[in-house]
Amino acid sequence: MKKIEKKVADGYFRARTTMIVIYLAIGFLVSYGVVLFAEPLSTITFNHFPLHYYMGAQGAVLTFIILLFVNAVVSDKIDKKYGIDAKKNESISAGKTLDH
Amino acid sequence: MDVQFLVSFALIAATFGLYIGIAIYNKAKATSDFYVAGRGVPPVFNGMAIGADWMSAASFIGMAGTVMVLGYDGLAYIMGWTGGYLLLTFLLAPQLRKYGRYTVPEFIGDRYRSDTARLIAAVATIIISFTYSVGQLSGSGVVIGRLLEVNAAVGTLIGVVLIAFYSALGGMKGITWTQVAQYIVLITAYLIPVIFMALQLTGNPMPWVSYGQVIDELRVLDQELGITEYVVPFTEGTKWQFLALMFTLMAGTAGLPHVIVRFYTVSTMKAARWSGAWALLFIGLLYLSAPAYAAFSRFILMTQVAGSAINDLPAWTASWVDTGLLSVADTDGDGVLQWQEIVISNDIVVMATPEIANLGIFVIGLMAAGAMAAALSTAGGLMIAISAALSHDIYYRSINPNASEKKRLLVGRWSIVLATVIAGLIALNPPGAITQIVAWAFALASGSFFPALLLGVWWKRSNGPGVIAGMIVGLSVTLGYIFAAKYGGFTVLGIIDTGAGVFGAAAAILTNIIVSLATKEPTREAQEEVIDLRYPEQMTYRDGEVWMDDSQDVPDSTK
Repeated sequence: MKKIEKKVADGYFRARTTMIVIYLAIGFLVSYGVVLFAEPLSTITFNHFPLHYYMGAQGAVLTFIILLFVNAVVSDKIDKKYGIDAKKNESISAGKTLDH
Repeated sequence: MDVQFLVSFALIAATFGLYIGIAIYNKAKATSDFYVAGRGVPPVFNGMAIGADWMSAASFIGMAGTVMVLGYDGLAYIMGWTGGYLLLTFLLAPQLRKYGRYTVPEFIGDRYRSDTARLIAAVATIIISFTYSVGQLSGSGVVIGRLLEVNAAVGTLIGVVLIAFYSALGGMKGITWTQVAQYIVLITAYLIPVIFMALQLTGNPMPWVSYGQVIDELRVLDQELGITEYVVPFTEGTKWQFLALMFTLMAGTAGLPHVIVRFYTVSTMKAARWSGAWALLFIGLLYLSAPAYAAFSRFILMTQVAGSAINDLPAWTASWVDTGLLSVADTDGDGVLQWQEIVISNDIVVMATPEIANLGIFVIGLMAAGAMAAALSTAGGLMIAISAALSHDIYYRSINPNASEKKRLLVGRWSIVLATVIAGLIALNPPGAITQIVAWAFALASGSFFPALLLGVWWKRSNGPGVIAGMIVGLSVTLGYIFAAKYGGFTVLGIIDTGAGVFGAAAAILTNIIVSLATKEPTREAQEEVIDLRYPEQMTYRDGEVWMDDSQDVPDSTK
């Protein structure tokens, strides 16, 4: 066990939280944002689709998927920067839950 | 018995055999390495299992039909049910994984240091999972009813027996690999017809790219008929209803006990993030295809069925009319079936599509097997959630703490049978379309669990009295609004019963905050546990300081 400076630990938490706020903002924009402005957007056409319909049927879902993968990759990078070892995490959390 | 019946039946039987075989194989294996630490399902496969658990009869059978009938307004379901994974993966899953408990009520009870909160959460789990399984059973009724050419109600009864048997017998441990197989069956069954239809109608095997053309043509057809165009927004409800429904489905997804439990079984917080990402990719395959289904089916119905002579309808219409879910009546008596004279239930669009598009008996049988996989895998997960709440959170932790494992298992199995039978009786005369019933379950989850978990993970000041008041108020507001809107005609901004979760969640969050601040703050230990969730497993928060575990030990495999 080694003590970590408060500043470093806070830095980790802030880095992760900032990213999450950004992802959620983007996610809300492509779903709630587009619905709020559905009528004006319906005059724009994208690949035969009116834009509001395209975003609801495909655009928002694709954005969500990309955001989740970006989050997974970026979080791994942040972990690495702070010297977190994935293998170590596994052995620490093993046995803490039931295996379904 | 015709050829179709035999083919469908053989495919369903073969896939069932596969699931049971996998379950038996894994059960045998699981006993041998039960005590080996660190065994985790790789995130890709866990993603598929989450997908199968998640994609229910409502997604498989009901959603494309809902989009077809509602047009743009049906897309709230697509965005809501996928967007929920953002909230779940970003805000809850990794932290819940680090806290590490067996069930969601157990997390709530331990985090808030309150037995009452655990009991309320257990009861909420039962109510939510129960409502959800009514939707599953009425879905399997549609499939079985069509397959055996009996009324959907008789089909539901057969489904009850199947699901009770399936979840009480297997489904306790080692279920993950079965669900991986179920995912593969259901996604194959879902994609094949839509790819064939895309080829038939647009000459392009990629429905996701090509159905824009069909949307274009639908607009022209709608204009000729003088009806509201398919893509026009907010024809079925107000914009606020759309937004409220979308929020309800997102927050509900992040609060569904049987989905959250899946994130307890991954190895680390990192694996929880990756599982969420893979899960949405696999789920997205189906959700991106549903609107294509809707457009193609509507196009075929408008161009090939509407306009034909009433005595010369395609053969498939007769068998669906028998199930009571399709009505084709020549109301104006001119001998020709008009588009307006077709009344099609949301719930049969997907199942009828292979017949509508004339795709042959094998594809029809595959659809039946896929729909059964969707209904069974979700029902299995729901029943386990119900039985865990009853046997673990209520019976074992509150009523009889000395109960033997055997006795708890018995209580668990009987609760599954009982819950399935009661849900089946309600599903005989379903109080709404499948997607609508399921939306109520989500409204209840977003009014109870979502606020409790969100504040529990992110706000250390939130305490026992706060969460108890929050869950009670959230559930009451949600239930009250559903009944007031559905039976009393009471609405705010045009938000109907399916959007009730937005009020429930807001009320629950407010109540939790106000009551928490008005009562004593949680113990220092409880607050430190919440701060500890900010960091990965290797970092621990204790006495205001963060510690990093940098020892080079080998995992203790004997514990």
